Amino acid sequence: MTPHYRAAFRWQSRAVLGRHLTVYRRNWHTAALPPLLEPIILLLAFGVGLGGFIPEFAWRGRPVSYLAYLAPGMLAYTAFMTAFFQALFAAYIRMHYQKTWEGQLVTQVRLEHVVWGEVLWAATLGTIYALIVTVVLAGFTLAGWLHLHWAGAPLILPLLFLAALAFATLGLLFTALVPGIDHMSIPFFLVIMPLGFASSTYFPMEGDSPWTRAWLALNPLHHLAEGVRFLLLAGEMSHHLAAACGLFLLMILALVPLDERLLRRRVLGEG
Amino acid sequence: MGMSAMTGAALPEAAPRGERIALMPAADHPSTPDEPILLAEGLVKRFAGRRAVDGVGLRVRAGQVLGLLGANGAGKTTTLRLCYGFLRPDAGTVRVAGIDRRADPEAAARRVGVCTQDDTFDTDFTVRGNLEQVGRYFRPRPPALKARVAALLERFGLDRHADAKPDTLSGGYRRRLMLARALVHEPRLLFLDEPTTGLDPQARLEVWELVDALRRDGLGIVLTTHYMDEAERLSDELVVLREGRTVATGPPRAVLGDLVGEHVLVLDARDPAAPAVREWARQTGLPEPARVLADLHLALDGPGLARFGARFGDLRFEVRSPTLDDLFLKLAEKS
Repeated sequence: MTPHYRAAFRWQSRAVLGRHLTVYRRNWHTAALPPLLEPIILLLAFGVGLGGFIPEFAWRGRPVSYLAYLAPGMLAYTAFMTAFFQALFAAYIRMHYQKTWEGQLVTQVRLEHVVWGEVLWAATLGTIYALIVTVVLAGFTLAGWLHLHWAGAPLILPLLFLAALAFATLGLLFTALVPGIDHMSIPFFLVIMPLGFASSTYFPMEGDSPWTRAWLALNPLHHLAEGVRFLLLAGEMSHHLAAACGLFLLMILALVPLDERLLRRRVLGEG
Repeated sequence: MGMSAMTGAALPEAAPRGERIALMPAADHPSTPDEPILLAEGLVKRFAGRRAVDGVGLRVRAGQVLGLLGANGAGKTTTLRLCYGFLRPDAGTVRVAGIDRRADPEAAARRVGVCTQDDTFDTDFTVRGNLEQVGRYFRPRPPALKARVAALLERFGLDRHADAKPDTLSGGYRRRLMLARALVHEPRLLFLDEPTTGLDPQARLEVWELVDALRRDGLGIVLTTHYMDEAERLSDELVVLREGRTVATGPPRAVLGDLVGEHVLVLDARDPAAPAVREWARQTGLPEPARVLADLHLALDGPGLARFGARFGDLRFEVRSPTLDDLFLKLAEKS
């Protein structure tokens, strides 16, 4: 294992992660409210409200309601969005405005630990938010609005953590690249929005064109959404899970050294 | 005076400590009095092909303050960053308390405290929280961390603000917090990058007193500053940088004598005799007198001053010792 990846397991990375957890724990009661309210509002507005106008449709040969289709997609979208946004926006604030990184880099913490600390924290937060969505989905299930297979649920959170790790490395890439905070909207509208929606999260992505097939085959968020959907709606493991895991691992392997290199140039002026 | 690594001056006499807490455990002092806490040799750092630091060497012993001087862009902060590990040198070595930074960066970093030029405390934590949190970035963990934090809060006069957010503090107290943060893990070597920039005179004096106390506690200190009085007052030794290179090293007075001259003669630039003075300086092989606002400054040694007095005895002029301001002006003139 090269030093880029070994750093993930060093105490310094955990110390950086611990710093973020400490700050979050202090504000958890306010910080947890938006991720709790957002899925409730979205499920009610789109799943129940809009879904009321959409008749049951066939998904992989099974009749499903729009609410049932939406629920797994929201889980995938939450892990993706939270991790990406945290690694992009919040990390940028800490790097550039709060100078938290510089304060860490004059200790025994080095840049590779800061990078992993940010990635691990973004993934942890993405998983926490996804867990909150899971609790909301469980509430909808208990209320009789949703009928989900919960046997596969223990698999979902580790999978979402891996997904969030990968999307955090993507978020940090843009943290290293954006010229300033005014340019944050560029990755948001060029990456988050298209990837977030055109990935079988909020609506089925299907098509026979080679472009669509290639997009879906290489799109990790699509595989994640579909994999989670198979688990929760059919209680089945699917090839999407393996594809998602493979793509996420590839992202992590490729992006961590790149993030570190670009951030070394940005933060330290080296490279 | 040497252009390469400097040797340290005699240690200042240790002051009585009284009831103050020790900032450095006695067992962690160097094994021999001559062992440098910092030994940097042949440091080179390039940015975009330009040599920001070019062959700089530093040597600091326990209880010694080394002042790093130079105009903006001379390479002071880069040199400091190479020494405390924020940057990696392209060439050269850094040893901290005998530990090669390249071979064991963690062990070297454990012995170093850094007070950066900008405030880099963590704004998500209180003053006390900042000190506790920074302790978590070191292994082995500082022993009895909470007690040490309480002692540092008291020593730096921060106990009244312990539960405040650091961005609510005045400039002087922010600097105190930065200093305290740098000392949580009981380092042996302290780097201070322009520690009093932007402070009012009272706050500057307070920081000077703290630095002086840390020196008496036996810390090796490397400090960069733009303030000449600060460098003269605090430094046992100076290293003067220009365009990334060492141009002089030694005790402040010796550096000034070498680079500026023994005396500085000041006369009114509008004096009718000023052209004659310029011509006299040219003819006697002296450097061109420097124009500073409405004055002419002429650096002279003892015999030179006597010759000037003999030639321009009727002129109104003032003679004073050179200051580091003169040195800066000299360096600016050369570059």
